[in-house]
Amino acid sequence: MSDLVLSSIRKSFGTVDVIHGVDLTVTDGEFVVFVGPSGCGKSTLLRIIAGLEACTSGDILLDGRRVNDVAAADRGLAMVFQSYALYPHMSVRQNLSFGLENARMSKAEITQRVGEAARMLRIEELLERKPRQLSGGQRQRVAIGRAIVRRPGIFLLDEPLSNLDAELRVAMRGELASLHKRLAATMIYVTHDQVEAMTMADRIVVLRGGRVEQIGPPLELYNRPANRFVAGFLGAPRMNFLAARPAGRDLILADGTRVPVAVDLAPVAGQDVTLGIRPQHLRPADGGGIPATATLVEQLGSETVVHARSDALGALIVAVPGQVRLADGETVHLAFDPADAHVFGPDDRALPHVETAGA
Amino acid sequence: MHLLLAPVRWLMHLIGVPLGWVQRTFGMGGMAAVFLAPNLLVFSVFIVFPIGVNVWYSFTGGAALFPAGRVFVGTEQYDLLLACDSYLDPFSCRQDRFWKGVHNTAFFVVAQVAAMVAAALITALVLNREIRGRGFWRAVFFFPVLLSPVVVGLMWKWILLRDGALNALLVSLGYQRIEFLTDPQWAMFWVIFVSVWAHLGFYALILLAGLQAIPHDVYEAAKMDGTPAMRVFWRITLPLLWPTMLVVLVLASIRAVQVFDDAYVLTGGGPGTATFFIVQYIYETGFAGAARNLGLAAAASMLMALVLVVLTLAQLGITAWRDRQEGKR
Repeated sequence: MSDLVLSSIRKSFGTVDVIHGVDLTVTDGEFVVFVGPSGCGKSTLLRIIAGLEACTSGDILLDGRRVNDVAAADRGLAMVFQSYALYPHMSVRQNLSFGLENARMSKAEITQRVGEAARMLRIEELLERKPRQLSGGQRQRVAIGRAIVRRPGIFLLDEPLSNLDAELRVAMRGELASLHKRLAATMIYVTHDQVEAMTMADRIVVLRGGRVEQIGPPLELYNRPANRFVAGFLGAPRMNFLAARPAGRDLILADGTRVPVAVDLAPVAGQDVTLGIRPQHLRPADGGGIPATATLVEQLGSETVVHARSDALGALIVAVPGQVRLADGETVHLAFDPADAHVFGPDDRALPHVETAGA
Repeated sequence: MHLLLAPVRWLMHLIGVPLGWVQRTFGMGGMAAVFLAPNLLVFSVFIVFPIGVNVWYSFTGGAALFPAGRVFVGTEQYDLLLACDSYLDPFSCRQDRFWKGVHNTAFFVVAQVAAMVAAALITALVLNREIRGRGFWRAVFFFPVLLSPVVVGLMWKWILLRDGALNALLVSLGYQRIEFLTDPQWAMFWVIFVSVWAHLGFYALILLAGLQAIPHDVYEAAKMDGTPAMRVFWRITLPLLWPTMLVVLVLASIRAVQVFDDAYVLTGGGPGTATFFIVQYIYETGFAGAARNLGLAAAASMLMALVLVVLTLAQLGITAWRDRQEGKR
């Protein structure tokens, strides 16, 4: 259990800059998720923390100690690799004990720790098997076990669930979360899957192009995204973005519809802005609102996802709870609560909301 | 474009006509046999037929070159070759030169293969690192493989002769000349050295491929596990490279048993019989001596072939096993 401070971390591969100055503090026991599209630098950042990659500049502090020049093994961290990276010629037991043997730990201590981890992960009956005799989920457990036995200050997990099938992924997600609670360990988890980020994280770090876009608890990022990228990245289906122009305290959309928003529009008066509205926050209204034509209606049972189109506004996605009877080609009028609207200025930054009475 | 394609089309048409006829005649299933036929013919004429001839000749005697003039003698040639009081002492054998060749070859195989595997492994490990000019170094180590064995033999002979380049260097540094090729121990050493030098690149390449097949993240996991470099080599690299090592071991052994050309050019089997190998015995008995004893040479070839068949079967078995191992990974 450790805390970690990254300060102005930069990384270049040759002339290509992949990390452009990342600052981050991870406190003891926190579950932090790095999320972003592929190539955003999240894995590189994790590998820099692990010591598998050196940063070009900046400081890495573990419990206040600068560890830039400390070897990976001596940082007291453990990593779970996307490919599991188990030693293929060793049994599960040997895989778990190998790192402890390197540290010249006593046999009794090794046996005790391996047994404890195996019990925790329910892989006791697999200890004498080779990795190739295990299923994907079992290999995943062994990879996590290999990290647990080392009792690391921080667990680093690099897309650990991406090689599992959907069902197993959901199950392992839950197990990892409960493991985090039980071990009270600091975990840094890399994923490109926003659902994993939302469900597991204490705090999410959204990265894009080697820069931090926003850091915060999942719901804070979901409810108050700092910019258009974060707004579009978190949440499924993706947030709708509509071109708009401020008119007093309202917005005028491209089709001429006037919509009220609970956002302070004063700083962007007269400039083109973008209205962001989540599919879940749009609802069919009787007259008024934004007119659009339904092009595809997806009935998921628990909710209905309507893909709609408007000539002036483009594509719109609406997610309505429950089962809504709607035919393709039907015209719908869409409305939303002004408090749910997000407005992004010309620089794509979110404008601050104004607190409305009762909100 | 159309004009350019016209001759191609014409050529295709030219081939198409006879192929169409062949296909109609032999049917689709027969086409495979038709395509294989030329190769099978060459293989039969140059490989299968000579093997048959060799087997037959090993049961015949006399000096006649053509089968018609040769006399069937049963296992007489084999009896002669295998007539020994003790197989450990070549001079107790009736064909003492054959057994000297067997002993020398056995020693050569063990020493050369050991040296070869060690040198190839070290070379592969070095070439697998992020070194400057890696492609260039890989080419340098592979280059001798492309040389003709006679060129290799001659080149090293010029270096190692009494008045050769190496002795010139020794003398210029103030040392005594060394009789590299006329001292029995030195001669054997250099035959092994030159043979390793000449074939190293081939085996290093196989091992390099084996090293690169080891997943990189396993090494990263080892790094996170704080594994010292030597332990990484013994506990991770070597076990994972082992199937490839076995293949190299057997391939190198098969080749070492057949040592002849470069060694013959370098030392001529000497001094005395210090570097006299089985193949040289076969060559001299069958073709180089005054009395061309083709029967005896053929029988000696058969005995050597037996050893090679065993080694080849081992290699095939190991390769199949390795593929299964990798399939399971």
